[in-house]
This record gives sequence, structure tokens and C-alpha cells, in this order.
Amino acid sequence: MWKLAAMYAALVLPAAVYMALHGRAHAHTHAHKGGHRHGERLDIDYLAYSSRMRSWNPALKALLSLSTILLCLLLDNPHVSAAALFFMAFLAVAVGGIALREYIGTLTTPIVFILLSALAVAVEYSAKPAGEYRLFLGFGYLYTSGPMLARSALLTLKVMACVSALNMLILATPFSELIAVLKKARVPRLIIDLMHMIYRFIFILLEVSHRMRASAEARLGYRDTKTSWYTFGHIAGNLLVLSLRRAGAYYDAMEARCYDGELAFLEEDKPLRPGHVLPSLLFLLYLPLMWYLTK
Amino acid sequence: MKHCILCAEHLFYTYANGQPALADVSAELYEGERVAVIGPNGSGKSTFFLNLNGVYAPTDGKIVYRGEEVTKKTLNTLRQNVGIVFQDADNQIIASTVRAEVGFGPMNLRLPREAVLRRVDEALSYMNIAALADRPPHYLSGGEKKRVSIADIVAMRPEVFIFDEPTASLDPVNAQMLEEVLEKLGTEGKTLLISTHDVDFAYRWASRVLVFSQGRIVADAPPLAVFLDTELLKRANLKKPAMLLVYEALLSAGVLENAGAYPKTPEELKGLLARAAR
Repeated sequence: MWKLAAMYAALVLPAAVYMALHGRAHAHTHAHKGGHRHGERLDIDYLAYSSRMRSWNPALKALLSLSTILLCLLLDNPHVSAAALFFMAFLAVAVGGIALREYIGTLTTPIVFILLSALAVAVEYSAKPAGEYRLFLGFGYLYTSGPMLARSALLTLKVMACVSALNMLILATPFSELIAVLKKARVPRLIIDLMHMIYRFIFILLEVSHRMRASAEARLGYRDTKTSWYTFGHIAGNLLVLSLRRAGAYYDAMEARCYDGELAFLEEDKPLRPGHVLPSLLFLLYLPLMWYLTK
Repeated sequence: MKHCILCAEHLFYTYANGQPALADVSAELYEGERVAVIGPNGSGKSTFFLNLNGVYAPTDGKIVYRGEEVTKKTLNTLRQNVGIVFQDADNQIIASTVRAEVGFGPMNLRLPREAVLRRVDEALSYMNIAALADRPPHYLSGGEKKRVSIADIVAMRPEVFIFDEPTASLDPVNAQMLEEVLEKLGTEGKTLLISTHDVDFAYRWASRVLVFSQGRIVADAPPLAVFLDTELLKRANLKKPAMLLVYEALLSAGVLENAGAYPKTPEELKGLLARAAR
């Protein structure tokens, strides 16, 4: 038991010290001033740009996140999952400087899905009475038992740890840098170029559709359900036509700047810093140790 | 001695759908000129620009850059030296951060990384947007986007800058910023080509005016000559600059005598009035 307590302390104490030193001092210093306009903002994208962990080498973050996920799945140990869940959230919130409320906001959608699937794992149906706990439905029983609940809880914890690890990566790394990591990982160029374009166009389409929506609304285009559907259809159609035209304009503008079929973007060099690499490495060693001491 | 940098010789351009856009357009551009291109929407200004930069290949006629006819082989030299700032910055900005965006052109020139970085930093500080370097374009304001789209071209260090209706959606502060940038580029000896609907701006700023109408150049002269030609203005659906109207009103009211010194700015007009009062 003391071993377990020591292991958790080894994780929580440094985190507490870090928070005491950095936490309050520069919360939100990196948030962009007036950087967004109503209706065109994707929360996750915006948070990633304002994260203080943006200066970390993106490949390091990706490696840390993926290794954590792999370790959680392979070691399959509740303490490992709990430690990963905690540390990844700590990175995103305390190191990245994202408000806790925003962080939890990004987790609500996955949590709903995870809880629903946890329920599906924990509860089974039977025509005859079975299990420790059951609910009579008139035509059969929904039942569960202690071990089934425990299994479901373990699974939920494991999945939450993985979501937390992925969330850390996404909330600390702008999408363009993630694409650069994929490029380094030798993902085919066609896919990389498409990702770049799609990412940029998402925001342009969002802005245009937002404007169209506003102008339709100003002309009572959403006064009732039928009109709303009608308006929606027209906006969707317009967006398609507009996208095609815009694609042409874009191509001209790119060619005007000597584009010759290869999208080459200037990528920032974010050097690996000992202050980033060392804690990451320690954490990745810590997880198997935790598993070894608690198995 | 001024050298002709860029020549369009008998350009014809027809869109793929058969719609003619340019018909026998010829123009010579000299070093350090400030050319305003005016004319109604759809009169061929943008098509002309895209031909000058080699994005569109003329159906007939040719583009001559520094004495050499532009061919497929020399196309990139042309694009490198003739930069276009497009009307809508959102149709131009392609990358996901300002730095990557401004670096897009230099990267396409296949420069070494250090050179690209140097050019990007220079262009960013030239446009006063060094602080925006790491921002994504979708969190910028309209004026900031415009600056980025100009920095895009500055980073390529062209000899000829083309601005397609640059003031179209700018507020007064940003329009002022734009004029300062134009001034700065002008003093560096760059050739500037600007399409605009703002006749007051064209009259005050340009050293030469090209008037487009229905795919042709109907006038190519100094601003004063163009704006005094009432017949031409009528044909091209253009208005007279306010300063000229005021000056003419003062002439006919007998306040001023016609000395042939047409004022371009309110300050010049004040000077004339002060002299007349003496």
C-alpha cells in the first residue's frame, strides 16, 4: 500500500510544485486579444493556438501522447490509467494554461459517448432472472453484477486516460503543426496537401456560411421550420457554387506566387528542449514502473 | 533614362466559356511608374493583371519582360518579378499561420531556409505585422489580412507590384496605411500598378492612368489629361475627381484665374487661393 501511495505522490507532488511556481503567475498571458469574431470560432482550434505548450516540439507532444495511449492499452492497469489521466490533464491545463472550464468543455462530448458505451458493457439482457442486480422490464431482465460493473469501470478509466492523452496533444498543438508531424512521419504528400487546404477552407466556408445565414435571418429566412429547411438548402447549394468559384480564385492566387504543384510551407523549427523532453521521458518510464509495482 | 520593364503587346484573352475579356491591349510599363488602372467592373482590369503575371496565357499577343518575350520557360521569372496583391485577401491567404503564409512565395522560389526566414522577417516588419507572425489567418481582422496579403508579395521582392482594388474593403485608417505603403514602395523605385474605382485617389497619386472599357484600353495618359477629357469620361462611365470639379467651379466663379496649374491636393488648392487673394 505504501508503494502505491509513494507512486502517486511521485506524480502529484512535482505537479503541485509546478503549479505553485507557474500556475497563477501567467494564466492566460498567451490568449489572443480580440482574436476571434462571433460565429467563426472552433473552440479546440482556438485553444490550441493560445496554449502555452505551443512552443513544445510538436513531434515530442505527438510521441508523448501516442506512447501514453499505447502504454495504457498494453499495461491495462487502473493505476497506470489514473496516472495518465491525471498527468495529461495537468499538462493541458496547468502547463498549457487552458482554463479548467474550457478543458472540461472539450471533454463533454467524449464523456457522453464513453458513459453510454460503459453502460452497454456493464448491463446485459436476459429473459430469465440473472446477475446480482436486475431490472424487470415486463418481457425480460436488464441485469448486472459486481464484476461486470468493475470491468466496465476499469474500461471507462482506460478510455478516459486515452482521451485525455489525445486531448493534451490536440489542445496544445495547432493543426498545421500536427500536419507537419504527419509529413515527417511520411504520410503521402497528396494527403498532407489536402489536409492543409481543407483546414484552411473550413474557416473560410464557416465564415461565408455564417454571413449567408445572417443575411437570410435578416430576411426572415428562419421564421418557421419549413422556411428554415428551404433556406438551409439554398445556403448549402450556394456554398457549393461559391466553393468551386473560390477554388478557381485560389488557384490563380497560388500560381501568381510561383506555385508549381508542390505545396511547400515554411515550417517553424521548434527545438527539443531538455525542460520538455526530460519530464516526458520520466513520465513514460513512470507508467511501466507503476504497473510493475501494482500488478 | 527610364527603362521599359514590362510590355503587353496586342493582348487578346478569351475565357474558356468563349467570353472575350481583352481585345488588343497594348501597354508599356516603365521603371518606377505609378500607374492607376481605372474602368468599370468587368472591363478587363483583373484579367489584364493576371496576364501580366503569367497566370493566364494570352489567347493572342505577347508579354515582354525586360526585353524578352515570356515563354513557358521564363514564366516563373515573370511571376517572381511581377507580384499581384489580390482584391480579396481571403482568396489569397493559403497557409495556416502568418509566417507560413508570407513564406509561401519564397518557398516556391526554392530558396534555402535561412533566406526564406530572412525575407519573411523583413516583409513582416515592412508591413508592421511582426507581432502577428504565429497567428492563424482566420483570427485576423480585415485590415490585418490585407497587410498579410501585401507582405506575401513584398517577401518575393518583385520589381512590379500590382494591386487589384486594394482599397475596396478597407476602413479609412487601413486605407491610409495602404497609401503609406504605396508611398514607401514608390520611393524604393518599384513600379506600381493599381486598379481602383477611386478617381480622386487615381488623380492625386498616379503618374499615369490607363482607362479600360469593354476589354480595351481607351486611354493611356497622365491623370490630368484623362480627367479633363469629358468625352472620354462619359464613354468610360467615370466621374471627375472632386478636386478638379472644385477648381473648375472656382474658375467659372472668377475666384481663380486659369494658369494651367491644376491642384492635386487640398493643400495645393489652398496655396493657389492664397496667391489669388494677394
